[in-house]
Amino acid sequence: MHWYVYEESLNDKKFATELSKIESRLADLEIKGRICRLSVLKNLSEALREAVSQGAETIVAVGSDQCFLQTAVAAAAFPSVTVGFIPMDDNSLFASAFGLPIGDKACDVLAQRLVKKIDLGKVNQNYFVDALSFSGEQVFLEFAGYQISPASSEAVLSVRNLGLTAFASGAQKMASPTDGKLEAVIEPLKKNWLGKMKLSGRPSVFPFRRARIVSKGEPASILADGRTVAKTPAEVTVEPEKLKVIVGPQRLF
Amino acid sequence: MFKDNPNKSGKNAETIIGQSVKVEGDFIGEGDVIVEGIVVGNLRTKNHLTVGSEAKIQAEIGAQSAFVAGEIIGNVKIDDYLELTATASIAGDVSAGLISIERGAKINGKVNIGGEIMPKVNKKVVIKEPEEETDNAQF
Repeated sequence: MHWYVYEESLNDKKFATELSKIESRLADLEIKGRICRLSVLKNLSEALREAVSQGAETIVAVGSDQCFLQTAVAAAAFPSVTVGFIPMDDNSLFASAFGLPIGDKACDVLAQRLVKKIDLGKVNQNYFVDALSFSGEQVFLEFAGYQISPASSEAVLSVRNLGLTAFASGAQKMASPTDGKLEAVIEPLKKNWLGKMKLSGRPSVFPFRRARIVSKGEPASILADGRTVAKTPAEVTVEPEKLKVIVGPQRLF
Repeated sequence: MFKDNPNKSGKNAETIIGQSVKVEGDFIGEGDVIVEGIVVGNLRTKNHLTVGSEAKIQAEIGAQSAFVAGEIIGNVKIDDYLELTATASIAGDVSAGLISIERGAKINGKVNIGGEIMPKVNKKVVIKEPEEETDNAQF
């Protein structure tokens, strides 16, 4: 059974026509299911718990990349659930990464049901799909047997599984979410004459399965997929093939 | 591994130690390793090692094959092919299956290429003639 989780912003009237087209297409493809509209009074975790208790096997996020990320992270707690995505944003990064068209055309990909298991990252007890970033400077990673540290203060550290949104320099470069590893990336940056941060050398990349994030001085905040979830020190690991996702044939992995 | 265009991402587990990074301790890589920064300790990989011209390594090195253009202080043990460019500088013992050294490369230590050289053994070869058959065969 399918459950469709509509992002709160889709309550706006401007999305009514597109949503109507989507629902009509889902009915044609015989994959119509229950619709759950998120709101201030109804959050995602509750919606998913309710869906799974009523036998939902496929949870489809309808909305922006953030909606997909939150749905995927919440669904990680339910191993039998497969996650789908109908992107509504023309600039969606995850749409192109997963080979999904925008809007009602994504319904055909859902119906084909090409399922891939992807890795998830875990920082303390919190899952993440895309990447970790850190507020504050002086954040280091400790691995078994060795430690890495930036040689200059202008370098930015991030940990990525997919890494579509994590790059401080704005470049979009994707890692494989099915290799059973995360990547620690250190980007050396410097400001150009416009005041914008740009890459000033080759980024460093360290594939790993387990690491410890530490910081000098004050604890730094750890952001998983853009949400603050923990402070340093913290343990970060990979959970290989943790999440089942419906993807399209034009995916990037 | 890095793709500027939306191409499919590869599964190559390549470690890149850039100029902005220092690695301290025992680094054991599984895939190819590219060093352009600073490494102190031990550095081993089962695959290929590339040491850039700006790299400074103070470590014991072990790899399947290697391309060295930078500075290494420590012993280097390569199972297969080792290539040293004109800017390479190694202060330590070098051991490799095959080696290529560009003019200008510096090595300050023992060099062992192609494994140990076995001493020649002079053996007298005796050919035994087959025994003649007799009428009284025994079973």
